[in-house]
Amino acid sequence: MSDSPFIVHRLPNGLTVVIEVMPHVKSAACGFLARTGARDDPPAAAGVSHFLEHMCFKGTPTRTWEHINIEFDELGACYNAYTSKDRTFYYSWVRAEDFERQLDLLADMMRSVLPPDEFAMEKNVILEEIAMSADDLPSCAYDFLYEQACPRSALAWPVLGYDQTIKDLTREQMQEYYQRRYAPNNLILLVAGNLAPEQVIRAAERYCGHWPAVADLGPARTIPEVKHGSAGRQLDRFHQQAVLVAYPSVSASDPFDETAEAVAAILGGVNSRFYWNIIQKGISTRAGVFREEYADFALIVMFGLCEPENCETLLDAMRREARQLAEQNAEPKEIQRVKNLRRTSLANESEAPFYRLNQLVDDIDYHGAPRTAAERLAAVEAVSAETIGEYLRRFPLTDNGFLVSVGPRQWPNGG
Amino acid sequence: MTNPRTDHPFVHRILDCGLEMAVLPLPGRPVVAMEIRLFAGFACEDPKYLGVTHVLNEAISKGTAHYDGRGLNDAFDEIGATHVSQAGRETFAFSGLCLPEYLPRSIALHAELIRRPTFPEDACSVAVELARQQLLALDDDPDELTKKLLYRQTYGQPLGRHVLGEPDTLARLNRDAIVEHWRSHFSAGRMYVAVAGGVDPDALADQFEKEFEGFHTGEQNPGPERERPCWNLNFAPVRRHYSKELEQEQIAICFPGSAVTDPDFYSGQVLIGVLSGGMSGRLFTEVREKQGLVYWVGAWSDHPRGAGFVHLGASSTPQNAEKTYNTLLREIDRLADDLTQQELERAQAGIVTRALTRGEVTRSKAAELCNDLFHHGRPLLTEEKLSRIQAVTLNDLRRYLEEHPRDRVGAVTLGPREIEFTNDG
Repeated sequence: MSDSPFIVHRLPNGLTVVIEVMPHVKSAACGFLARTGARDDPPAAAGVSHFLEHMCFKGTPTRTWEHINIEFDELGACYNAYTSKDRTFYYSWVRAEDFERQLDLLADMMRSVLPPDEFAMEKNVILEEIAMSADDLPSCAYDFLYEQACPRSALAWPVLGYDQTIKDLTREQMQEYYQRRYAPNNLILLVAGNLAPEQVIRAAERYCGHWPAVADLGPARTIPEVKHGSAGRQLDRFHQQAVLVAYPSVSASDPFDETAEAVAAILGGVNSRFYWNIIQKGISTRAGVFREEYADFALIVMFGLCEPENCETLLDAMRREARQLAEQNAEPKEIQRVKNLRRTSLANESEAPFYRLNQLVDDIDYHGAPRTAAERLAAVEAVSAETIGEYLRRFPLTDNGFLVSVGPRQWPNGG
Repeated sequence: MTNPRTDHPFVHRILDCGLEMAVLPLPGRPVVAMEIRLFAGFACEDPKYLGVTHVLNEAISKGTAHYDGRGLNDAFDEIGATHVSQAGRETFAFSGLCLPEYLPRSIALHAELIRRPTFPEDACSVAVELARQQLLALDDDPDELTKKLLYRQTYGQPLGRHVLGEPDTLARLNRDAIVEHWRSHFSAGRMYVAVAGGVDPDALADQFEKEFEGFHTGEQNPGPERERPCWNLNFAPVRRHYSKELEQEQIAICFPGSAVTDPDFYSGQVLIGVLSGGMSGRLFTEVREKQGLVYWVGAWSDHPRGAGFVHLGASSTPQNAEKTYNTLLREIDRLADDLTQQELERAQAGIVTRALTRGEVTRSKAAELCNDLFHHGRPLLTEEKLSRIQAVTLNDLRRYLEEHPRDRVGAVTLGPREIEFTNDG
């Protein structure tokens, strides 16, 4: 592995440092992956992971929120953070010579003091974000899908939480969660850019080496079951109706992961069956297939937006396409398309540290190690009509799945 | 015709066919990016057929002289080339990305798409039907709907149009109108192309020359039209509320700024950075961090050719909307009062560093080059532009603010609560 561009190093406190050396660039991207997300929220504190992500920008032992914002902007950084159901990621992208200042800042943010005044103020911001999400039909449909298809599981609530859980949340609850989940042995530092690995490791030791490890990271994650059935939510203020059908799929760490991705692309990606047989038939303005991937769980979801009176037509069309793929398998050119487009996207991704950083997050979280472009291409090249056939036998799209719909029409529950 | 300048890395030529080509050779890059634009955006539409550019965009890839719709898309897929087209306000754009060895094939397929579309009748009907549905679906997109309302009431015609047209003009659209828009606005003389990556500019020029020779030249399009004047703009500082059932009130504000070609353009860009360059920008600090009124707030500029506007936007729940709106207006007003050297330097650092980091992405370089052709009619060195940014001083900013009074402000609010516009401009 001497020609590998990756270095993986573990500090004594358990913090993993992953470095990709990119000699052809002049910049460096850097991020902390906290292996915690909405599915780790205590149910009564739904939304705490996401709220905590905001609070990490609000003050540290040595910096106020103003200092944090000013220092990032002095570097001219592209920086932000996001929270999903299973991770929280903080990132920044600067000129390579500013790497250490960037790491200093990000590392400091991982030790937030959760300033009490800011906690109260930021609650308002979170409530605004929840309100914004409520005006977005796809977001409403996405949250409703999880709530209905995976009820009583840790995936059931929205990443943002609910108005009430946010209003009720105390700083002490957040503090308790924070201390467990942001332990160095639950964090990963990812770095990509034109940097010397020794310099990165030395900087990581300086800024993060003193963080104490934590033995108890909290309850282990449980794998939700996907229900079969249907549910509708009537929201009169929207014009269109969202229709989604979800099925269980292979997890992101499964060897069949690329096959499942290919199935989604062939059915509902660019130049796909959904595009030609659903959108280009005038049934839906937007229809496709996406996967919701986790290390231990996944869904494959067929979705579309349509006029309310066309729900049945859209649903029939989506199911017909899924059935035909199962019965007749994919055409060789469809499988080849997936491989060809991946080759171009891998080349594109290799250009910039920030692009690489995002892929490293997936590789580390789902495969336990960074993967080279050649390794990832080999995984895609292994997809064939046989693997697709086997996947569809193991995870058929031909039964009912779980159907949800959100929009002005009360459907499918009568109406 | 060759470009007379030789002191920069670009190759910039007006080809005999009338097409303008600019190439930024970047040897060793793993991909090649290409931007093809035509002066054929929705500002050029016949008022009787508003929305035709969008519909044309849907229909243009559904069949050509040598391929049916699926065949053409499959041909792009065979080489793993991505191709995206967009009906814009002033231009119609095609963006392509591929591995370097497939560039000639990608150009040939783009040429097939642009100059030999057959616009099958059924594809045109579906495109019109989808546009009708999309226009109704705008109701579900408060952000886009707010922009549409703001442009319509402040920019006037034709720049204030929306890409989806109007219900009555869409209802009138048919294949003949689509073909007519294509025939009268798609020509080599209206095309400009930017390519970035490891390419041979001479070979590229030869291929473009061959692919677009005689493309709609000399008939409806007598000669290159890229020198034609900019659109007339009659900015109307109208403020209006639109009632709609929403969880949040949408707020959009705009006022005139400078054009990309104006000498003080770079000062204007730095001021946008002061307002909204990063989280230390004034809007984020004053509206979100200090008052918790919003999740998102921002400022940006919009540049029709030869003009410029500053936009501010935010969304907040009805009880916070008026305070948010007034804070935005206050920040516009006080810009000139207390600018600091630190703010200036942060704004400059943001613009410079982002240009350098994003410059590592070949696609960004092609887009930047194409934008320069659109506004300046020639490629500009990134370093040249960034040095202009770095040269901006506090005095420049103060002068800019004096010369650009912010007393003519247009605004739209969309949501359940009417805001009282106390500060009419």
